[in-house]
Amino acid sequence: MDNLEFERLLKTTRLKLDEKEKIAIQKDIEEVIGYFEKISEIDTEGEEKAYHPIKVDPRFREDSVSRFADVDMLKRQSKLQDGYIIGPKL
Amino acid sequence: MKSHIEEFLDIDKPKDYYSNLVAEIEERNREHHFITTLNSNIASEDRGRLPFTVKANICVKGFETTAGSKMLKGYLPPFDATVVERMKNSGNFSFLGETNMDEFGFGTFGLNTETPAKNAFDSSYVAGGSSAGAAVATAMLKYHIAIAESTGGSISTPSALNGVVGFTPTYGTVSRYGLIDYANSLDKIGVIARSAADARIGFDVIKGRDAYDTTCSIEKIEDSKKKKLFLIKELMDKAEEPVRSSFGRLLDKLGEKYEITEIKSSIIEKSIAPYYIIAMAEASTNLAKYNGYKYGMQYEETNKRYNNFFTEARAEFGSEAKRRIILGTFIRSESVKERYYAKATQVRSMVIKEMRKILKEGFIISPALPIFTPKIEDAVKLTPTQNYAMDVFTVPPNLGGFPHITFPYDYHDGMPLGAQLVTEHANDYALFDFVSEWEESFNYRFRYNLGEL
Repeated sequence: MDNLEFERLLKTTRLKLDEKEKIAIQKDIEEVIGYFEKISEIDTEGEEKAYHPIKVDPRFREDSVSRFADVDMLKRQSKLQDGYIIGPKL
Repeated sequence: MKSHIEEFLDIDKPKDYYSNLVAEIEERNREHHFITTLNSNIASEDRGRLPFTVKANICVKGFETTAGSKMLKGYLPPFDATVVERMKNSGNFSFLGETNMDEFGFGTFGLNTETPAKNAFDSSYVAGGSSAGAAVATAMLKYHIAIAESTGGSISTPSALNGVVGFTPTYGTVSRYGLIDYANSLDKIGVIARSAADARIGFDVIKGRDAYDTTCSIEKIEDSKKKKLFLIKELMDKAEEPVRSSFGRLLDKLGEKYEITEIKSSIIEKSIAPYYIIAMAEASTNLAKYNGYKYGMQYEETNKRYNNFFTEARAEFGSEAKRRIILGTFIRSESVKERYYAKATQVRSMVIKEMRKILKEGFIISPALPIFTPKIEDAVKLTPTQNYAMDVFTVPPNLGGFPHITFPYDYHDGMPLGAQLVTEHANDYALFDFVSEWEESFNYRFRYNLGEL
């Protein structure tokens, strides 16, 4: 993986690494991708894709209005102003 | 073997039982770090109830639940996970605390977190991961049951390394509602206990459909007994020689009752790469929501622009989490997604088909790990791929969602050795029966029995 691609991934993932961490993680990632390449040796022609390990037979709950747990408890953990959570500037 | 849970429920407990237990745990925890959040209010609860713990990635209302991550420091869930609600509502269990783990479940040895748990038998050895604290707590406490979670071996590995029973159910039998997701198509909530009978009791409480998890759709659990045990040659070849010879002695004993056959399978041994591809792809999307102000850790610099704020807040992820987020995002990139992710889902399909064919005829048995328990100082030197290779036995059943159980079969230099048994989808009960039968001639050893009566 070249530096350009690695920097693109850091930007996409919103991760900032210091120089030492960058060198170590980039090296690890190259090693892991090399390991993943083993998969290319497997002939998967015509095989289905298994997105789940079992056949999921979903039963949906009734589409009705209900109050989710204790929303105020979640809000109390954040910085608030006039009842709204304060986040960064957009 | 008699159930510890039933024994506990039958005995009259002294008035100060829970307060003494909490004090004993606090003392042991200073060395072994197995509990991250302790419910000291348990002392005021009904003494008739058995203490249960939950892995720190399962939400308990009002108790700090961090999934082993600094990103979630201070997070108090506003609701109970379905499994927690079911344990509490059963009338037989009281919540004791949350257990230590690798950050978001990312680890084989329990070391990927700020203060790792240490093995219950000897604190210079790894506890195993990622449900490290759950297995250590089970090996520490005489009367207790742990609710844990496995994505690729996170119940089997620590259970084996701490000499307890670790049960991972069929994917889709236990609700994941309230679990802090690692990889949605692989995560399974299960049980760690001191006997197969106790693991079964726990499973019976937490299993069953849940309107809040549509993938939880398996209702009927079977108990189809098997008389054949299969060894997968390509997997067994990965085990180090001393492990193979210890395991061979277990096979000699089991050979008196079961027909044991070694078979070849070139596809099952290839499970690790597709497993990690799928797990990292799913993890990288799940971890996108941690942004420094919605859950847990509150990053103070709200005057900064969103991207800068988000990027600086996410510096709190540990190295393994960062690696997996970057790799998972790479795998999902338009230019390579067919090459890695799509192909991995096809290989998963092949592994499931192959394992189904074998498991129809009998159980698959193996050691839980290819090596003896490593010391912490040695485990920290392993590279990422050396770590992933430690999951050679635990990944195939996890990739395929097959139920499996780990049980101790011997001790080497005072440390327990664990074996793993796998069966067909929805045949979970057969695993408990097999281990219960094994327990009739096996003596468990524990270094501690906190809360003994």
